[in-house]
Amino acid sequence: MKRYSASFSVTALPAVFASLLTFALPAIALADEAQTERFGKIKGTGGVSSISGAGGGGLTPWATLSSYAEDDQLGGTVFISQARVDDYQLDIYGGAFNFHDKIEVSYARQDFLIKAADVQIRQDKIGLRYKLAGDIIYDRLPQITLGVEHGELRDPAVALSVGAEETRGTDYTISMARAWLNGIAHRTTLLNVNLRYGDANQFGILGYGGDDADQKINLEVAGAVFLNRSVAVGFEWRQKPDNLSALVEDDAKDLFLAYFPNKRLSLTAAWVDLGAIAGAPDQRGVYVSLQANL
Amino acid sequence: MKAKEPLNIMTAKATLTALALATVLTLSACAMPQGSGAPSSLYQALGAQQGIEQIADNFIMEIAYDPRVFDRFADSNVERFREKIIEHFCFIADGPCEYTGDSMVLTHRGMDINSAEFNAVVEDLIDAMDKAGTPVSAQNRLLERLAALRPEIMGI
Repeated sequence: MKRYSASFSVTALPAVFASLLTFALPAIALADEAQTERFGKIKGTGGVSSISGAGGGGLTPWATLSSYAEDDQLGGTVFISQARVDDYQLDIYGGAFNFHDKIEVSYARQDFLIKAADVQIRQDKIGLRYKLAGDIIYDRLPQITLGVEHGELRDPAVALSVGAEETRGTDYTISMARAWLNGIAHRTTLLNVNLRYGDANQFGILGYGGDDADQKINLEVAGAVFLNRSVAVGFEWRQKPDNLSALVEDDAKDLFLAYFPNKRLSLTAAWVDLGAIAGAPDQRGVYVSLQANL
Repeated sequence: MKAKEPLNIMTAKATLTALALATVLTLSACAMPQGSGAPSSLYQALGAQQGIEQIADNFIMEIAYDPRVFDRFADSNVERFREKIIEHFCFIADGPCEYTGDSMVLTHRGMDINSAEFNAVVEDLIDAMDKAGTPVSAQNRLLERLAALRPEIMGI
């Protein structure tokens, strides 16, 4: 069994990914990226990487597609994230590819650790999103993005033991985002709303569906305010289905701070409240995420 | 045991909330309060004539050193550009100026400016305002008004 240290579990990453970050980060930190032609969006507006790998947010994807790619550009992001709550730890890494700021393909590997039992549940998430209409700032319509998110458990035993119907499942999302340049307190302000159709238990970590199937349509809301050009603060709230008769599942929420020192890197820190997970109540803790734009 | 609300009520609630929020997202694009009133006018917040001149000077320098967009300004007369951009910012900020330059459409027609180039110039302007010490709040008030001109600048 793998031992997790107190910091980022870099040792858990495959060598390729770890070395990519190891070599890329110093170069990234030194690069004078301010006027990189490939990064057509304004700093910060590429968002960060959500737990499924899609552009967001953290707990939720947002209508904004990952990376700084504009209409005729290609973009890519890689990230590592970790959530540490009372009884569990979730390590995530992955990336996204953005084609002309129209289509986003994403991948995330989630390693969920039940601390007391030292049991690991691993899941792969792949995502595909399409920017359908509107613009986050410049159009009468908000930016509207359609998404598909597919998850498959590598370790299905726990999910099946708690009554999940499937160890793989697919969510469908519609995201709407609007930003006001001159918003709250004359600060640039963003609001994102998702409707999600799916039956994932705890983001799929506990499988999909169950003997007590709940509503399949759930709501996700996020808001953010840019205090200046480099720092944004905000919240997310994600309604979740509660499909397992044996276990209660709660909504998830967070308060976050995202820092964009330049267009290459972003660092996000959050306080998260995931509610009850697999019988352990009030799972609260911290979430950190580091993202690099390629 | 756990309590659950009936499935259809929860679904309806979520859908209604989403629809309401979507409506807010759509409508409020044109409903955010605009700056008004002489004492707290945007013109004053930008530092009046002196502040706007500083922003314009910085803006020209930012563009001159920005390889993303410099070529687009290669044929511009810097003196005239400076004079007209000062007039334009002053006018847009409700200052005591008249804009005597060409319309945005006339100025940008045939350039087919794309969104990345537009954003690059916005970033140059933000840097120019940062260096002029313009407060973020005044920056955003100006940017909001300039953003309304985007259809007259981009892709034409």
